[in-house]
Amino acid sequence: MALVLARIDNRLIHGQVLEAWVPFVQADCIVVANDEIAGNPLQKMMMQASVPSRMQVEIGTIAEATLLFNSAQLNRRRTLLLFGTTADAVRAYQGGLIYKRLNLGNLQAYKGKARFSCTLFLDPADLDNLELLDQAGVKITARCIPADGERPWRKLIPALKGRG
Amino acid sequence: MCLLLYGLFIDVVGVEMKVSWQTRLHIWFRLLLLQASWNFETLQGLGFFYALLPGMRKLYSKEKLPEVSLKYTGYFNTHVYFAPLVAGAVLRLEEDRISGTAAEVEIDDFKQMVAAPYAAIGDAFFWGGLRPLAAGIALFLAVKGILWAPLVFVLLYNIVPIWFRTAFFSRGYRQGLKSVEFIQQHKLPDLAIHTKEAAVVVLGGLSAFMVFSQLTQHQVPSWLGMLTLIPMVMLGLVARKGFSTLLLVIITVSSIFLIGLFWADVVHLIAF
Amino acid sequence: MVLSLFLGSLVSLICGLDRVAILQIMISRPIVAAPLAALVLGEPLVGLQIGVMVELLWLARLPVGAAVPPDDTQVSIASSVLAITLGQTLNASGGELLLLCLFIAVPLGKFGQYFDRYARQYNVRLVQRVDSALKRESFLAAEGQHLRGLISFSLSSLASYAIIILGGLLIIPVLWPYVQQSLSYSSAWMQLAFPLVGIAVILGTINVSRAITLFCASFCMAFLLMWLV
Repeated sequence: MALVLARIDNRLIHGQVLEAWVPFVQADCIVVANDEIAGNPLQKMMMQASVPSRMQVEIGTIAEATLLFNSAQLNRRRTLLLFGTTADAVRAYQGGLIYKRLNLGNLQAYKGKARFSCTLFLDPADLDNLELLDQAGVKITARCIPADGERPWRKLIPALKGRG
Repeated sequence: MCLLLYGLFIDVVGVEMKVSWQTRLHIWFRLLLLQASWNFETLQGLGFFYALLPGMRKLYSKEKLPEVSLKYTGYFNTHVYFAPLVAGAVLRLEEDRISGTAAEVEIDDFKQMVAAPYAAIGDAFFWGGLRPLAAGIALFLAVKGILWAPLVFVLLYNIVPIWFRTAFFSRGYRQGLKSVEFIQQHKLPDLAIHTKEAAVVVLGGLSAFMVFSQLTQHQVPSWLGMLTLIPMVMLGLVARKGFSTLLLVIITVSSIFLIGLFWADVVHLIAF
Repeated sequence: MVLSLFLGSLVSLICGLDRVAILQIMISRPIVAAPLAALVLGEPLVGLQIGVMVELLWLARLPVGAAVPPDDTQVSIASSVLAITLGQTLNASGGELLLLCLFIAVPLGKFGQYFDRYARQYNVRLVQRVDSALKRESFLAAEGQHLRGLISFSLSSLASYAIIILGGLLIIPVLWPYVQQSLSYSSAWMQLAFPLVGIAVILGTINVSRAITLFCASFCMAFLLMWLV
């Protein structure tokens, strides 16, 4: 099975993923690992309806996604994997969904989150999660769309310290 | 223009509901300013609040208004041409809530639920498909030196967006929550792919046209033009690898420049 | 000349706002913006030529979500204005000057992307101001803050325009005597290269599985048709 991209994006399937990343990595299958959406049929339907029918879309809980990846079902597919938060990414990794590289796309601003780049807002818990994955040997980079430059996530951190 | 008027008067104004047509027209015009304060934190959030404010004023009392408004200024982002559809539906849901009809979903959840899928569809269809298609057609005229080409582009491109902005605003308002059904029925993402395919075909014709007219102008044997395909396909493959347009332009143009200089020298030598 | 630059900045403002902030009826596309600027200055054909060259260049860079594409609006407007005003002062005309203006403007367009990003970053402040205005129950102030975003976008448009114009005015008159002759050998072919590179990039990045096959088929069809008929 080819996992062509694992990405954290709070908006999950949206224009950047479909228009920029899918042709770039030539994916033909998108897996969304998100408990919330998996439990909401209407939202699941909306998300599936926004993807062209020639692409396979699987939306499931993190446990389901892990099972799917460890089964032989996606063997012939080039898969793009999406998480909503850093916590989900860590849970999936610890649950046995192994990825070697992780792309940081969009993480939305909430109260208490600090800005790292134009689209990345992280809080200390996020940083701990990323640190954990980094220790486990995952190469984490920030890149909104392929046309942007790729930056290792550690390079972003001084931006936070500068803000106090 | 007719389409715009039709849309405004039949669709935006025509339906008689609790929120008067004047207010809806007001909201519709404010939706044109949706992205005036686009920012990295809430994206279109402020704009969405700004657009819906006239409607909320009609629906809520003065005491409740600030509290309701604060809910609307939060994170929101969808495609600009889909925003009227969302705004219409949200207006309807608010109206239902006031009149006591039990809503099936929270309005805030609804807003977030539809935003990303609509954005995905809109990006694919309008930016990815329609824009290259309209540009390709208009450039045929522009290459010919016809001054109307920009006007053709604007008119050609705007037919569908205007229809979306007007007709779908009222559709959202009429149908509320049900307005999401149309994207299932119409398979818009597949339509977007077809539009993109059409755009690729038009761009193919356009390239051939540009190369051919250039060659005939300079009295070069025209079959040579077929060779243009080779560098173009190569550039396309390189671009797929993620190289920036700027770099590709610099490489191409400077190699043409050098070849031009070299050729001029050769011609010069032969002449002597 | 000052008047021309000023008129150009008006067009740059209107078209620049259409890019993100208001309307989005695509008068911000180079194919519309450049001829418009050139029309105001009285030489629409120059603008049309520049529009053709720039339009397709970054068409593949979609303004998806929070991604900011290069500012092709200001590149095309500013290079039209430069080409026309410098054409008058240097007493030059033709494709060579257009090309030189574009060579200067296209790399400087990177600044446009930077300014655009900065405007959007600046607008984050408006969020807090709107929130506090709402807490004071002052709706007029909240609406005003939203509209203040227009100012940041206008400034960013004008700044990109100004930087390209400034760069052009400083560099082009110096370079022109040296490169005029050497550009003239291949200027027509370079003009052709701009849109073709743009199309190639679209082919490479568009989300259609058989884009290159489709393109080649359509190219050959059209070419044979024109050749044989």
